[in-house]
Amino acid sequence: MDSAVHRLETVSLRKEYPGTLALDDVSVSFTGGKIHALIGKNGAGKSTLVKLLAGAIQPTRGSILVNGEEVRLRSPRDALRRGIITVHQELSLVPELSVAENVLLGRLPRKPWLGVSIIDWRTVFDRAKDILTNLGIDIDVRLKAGRLGVAQQQVVEIAKAMSYNPSVLILDEPTSALAQHETERLFELLRTLAARGVVLLYITHRLQELQRIADTVTVLRNGSLVGVVDIAEASTARIVQMMFGEILQRTKPAGLVAREEPFMEVRKLSKRNAFRNIHFTVRRGEILGIAGLLGSGRTELLRALFGADPPDEGEILIEGTAVRPSSPMEMKRLGVALTPENRKEQGLVLPLSTRLNVCLSSLDRITTGGFLTRARERAVVEKSIRDLDIAVANAEAPVASLSGGNQQKVVVGKWLNIEPRLVLFDEPTRGIDLQAKQQMFQIIWDMSARGIGSIVVSSELEELLDVCHRILIMRQGEIVGEVRPSDISLDQLFAACMEEQA
Amino acid sequence: MIASPKLRSLLSEGILEIILVLFCIFLSFSAPGFLTAGNLLNVLRNVSMQGVIAFGMTMVIISGEIDLSVGSAVAFAGCLTAFITQTLAGDTFGLPLHVAIPIAICATLTVGFFVGTFTGIMRTKFQVPSFITTLALMTGLSGAAELITNGFPLTPFPSWYNFIGGGYLFGIPFPALIFLLVFATLQFLMNYTSFGRSVYAVGGNAEAARLSGIDVNRVKRLVLGTTALLAALSGIMQSSEIMSGTATTAKGWELDIIAAVIIGGTSLMGGVGRIWGTMIGVVFLGVIMNGMTLLNVSEYWQHVVRGALILVAVLLNLLQKGKSQR
Repeated sequence: MDSAVHRLETVSLRKEYPGTLALDDVSVSFTGGKIHALIGKNGAGKSTLVKLLAGAIQPTRGSILVNGEEVRLRSPRDALRRGIITVHQELSLVPELSVAENVLLGRLPRKPWLGVSIIDWRTVFDRAKDILTNLGIDIDVRLKAGRLGVAQQQVVEIAKAMSYNPSVLILDEPTSALAQHETERLFELLRTLAARGVVLLYITHRLQELQRIADTVTVLRNGSLVGVVDIAEASTARIVQMMFGEILQRTKPAGLVAREEPFMEVRKLSKRNAFRNIHFTVRRGEILGIAGLLGSGRTELLRALFGADPPDEGEILIEGTAVRPSSPMEMKRLGVALTPENRKEQGLVLPLSTRLNVCLSSLDRITTGGFLTRARERAVVEKSIRDLDIAVANAEAPVASLSGGNQQKVVVGKWLNIEPRLVLFDEPTRGIDLQAKQQMFQIIWDMSARGIGSIVVSSELEELLDVCHRILIMRQGEIVGEVRPSDISLDQLFAACMEEQA
Repeated sequence: MIASPKLRSLLSEGILEIILVLFCIFLSFSAPGFLTAGNLLNVLRNVSMQGVIAFGMTMVIISGEIDLSVGSAVAFAGCLTAFITQTLAGDTFGLPLHVAIPIAICATLTVGFFVGTFTGIMRTKFQVPSFITTLALMTGLSGAAELITNGFPLTPFPSWYNFIGGGYLFGIPFPALIFLLVFATLQFLMNYTSFGRSVYAVGGNAEAARLSGIDVNRVKRLVLGTTALLAALSGIMQSSEIMSGTATTAKGWELDIIAAVIIGGTSLMGGVGRIWGTMIGVVFLGVIMNGMTLLNVSEYWQHVVRGALILVAVLLNLLQKGKSQR
């Protein structure tokens, strides 16, 4: 195999979308033989950079160089031809085909037989076996790929990528679905690959892996390159500081305190494979944060409280009365609202107009006996647009045409129109710009002042520290701690969320 | 190509209406007798029975479902009305026809509604796609119609019964009046009620609708129930026109009806569509049939032209959508 040391560079690589700058003149260089971790928060520009390198999108300007030669990647096929291969987080093996067929997919060896070209199965299996053995992988190539565990599928995927003899191998969160010992095996494989001179770019959000696998750490924030550091000289605290930046002190209005009366009390709530024994109280007007990583059960908990996926066990009391969260309809009636994690798929009806979306939850408030009153509807829509400062040129245009921040405001507005008592926010600031984030916080604070409580789930821990009265720490389906923002620093909170993880 | 943006938006928004008008102008010059009140009312009357169902089908498709059983439901409803009338007016019960027929009509409409609700329950309770349930009903209802008629047309109807499907009121064909009434009702329902809003939301994104506290299952049941009810209504009109309950009528109607809905701009993906668009689609198909008959074009060509129209209409719709997204 080719053992030259490869090199990948970007020069002033820039990607603009209408209204957003996804990647801001990033110039960085990665040499082969090392494992380069690429990290950053959601929306930092990691996936934009990966997509550019994979040829899935084209840069606004700037260039990509492989081994000193500028390459133009107009399609994923171009990238493949230039030796840049990406292994995505979602595995793409065909489950019904054998491991060997998957590895050699699209280029199965053939042989002539009675005048026609047929697949040479013996060579297929032999060649696939060679490829795997060469990488020190021991998997039966005749097994159907679908019968392998996730970790083994990942390994097969990497072997497939390596069989193209790439100069650059990009791994997008390869360990997100793996258990501890599987991760170790993967790391061994990656070290084997690095030793061959391949440029390994490793995207992750698990900071605790960095010390064990990475040689260098490249940090992106808000589309810009913050810096590249050798792992030897980077402490976790330093990396966290690079990821999150200098924390702006956006303090919530002084005197914004929760009322005394509890609104919702949750007792011993459990749901299989999601969360266990959840116990907390949220008071009227209180802003309660839930800090936890992806997969900690935080989204499942919110959905259970809203009746979207009813819990298996436990009790929920609203103002002292036990309720069963059997459906969103029921919880809506009790004044509980949810703005879901994924607003495009769960929060909005994209083909419909802003007007229709804003009224979606409150149809019974703009109708009399089921009949719409246009005047009342117009008043409601105009009030939402004004109160939430939604930038919308035409309320009749499909809501899909709005920016992320304004779409999120439409989702919030939809719920404020029912005059809720408690709003469950799942990642309310995901994918929205800084100004919209500020406005979102202001909305949450204003609600609090009016006695409307919030439960805020966010990966943006520094935002939770700014916004909330109180923060619960959730890990692997359980609440493991409770803190007040004033008593904890960002890296302490981050550590609390990570501890014992993986 | 086109100078004024206003003209352009008119062209893209109302392109089908414009083509229809141009086509009518063409016909009024080339086809003798096209542009007469009598002929135009005839067009309305010809489209009325498929038309009433098409409005319901529009709701079904907007909500993200489909109903393939409407053709069979028409035949079944006609036969059921005849069967109940015959039974009630027969020796056992001996009811007079003017009592038996209203009972038969009400019973048939009720049965129709429950057949559609059944499809809805299969969809919402057991996750059986409406495509499958209504495919089964298509065969099942057709068989049931044969069963209750023993394969022969039932003819228990007195001559006045012909009024529903063949009569005139104020000089307008009565079935055409029913057609217009159903249009007006569903137009109102879809645009001026919370139910209509829910239908669009459910079809556009069922999960978002559910998480907005909308009763998605109820909406689906009601939409499918209403459409099957309209199919039963159409079956009653049909039985009145031909003065019998005949199991072999209305074969293949479901496809004509779905074609009209699609021509009218409703998306099979759900969430997008208009009752008014379906009105245009239904009338367009009626005018083509009528005009080509007047021009002595063979029936075979009529089918070819209808096929072409479906494709062209969908293409126009997609182009228009592509433009508005850019």
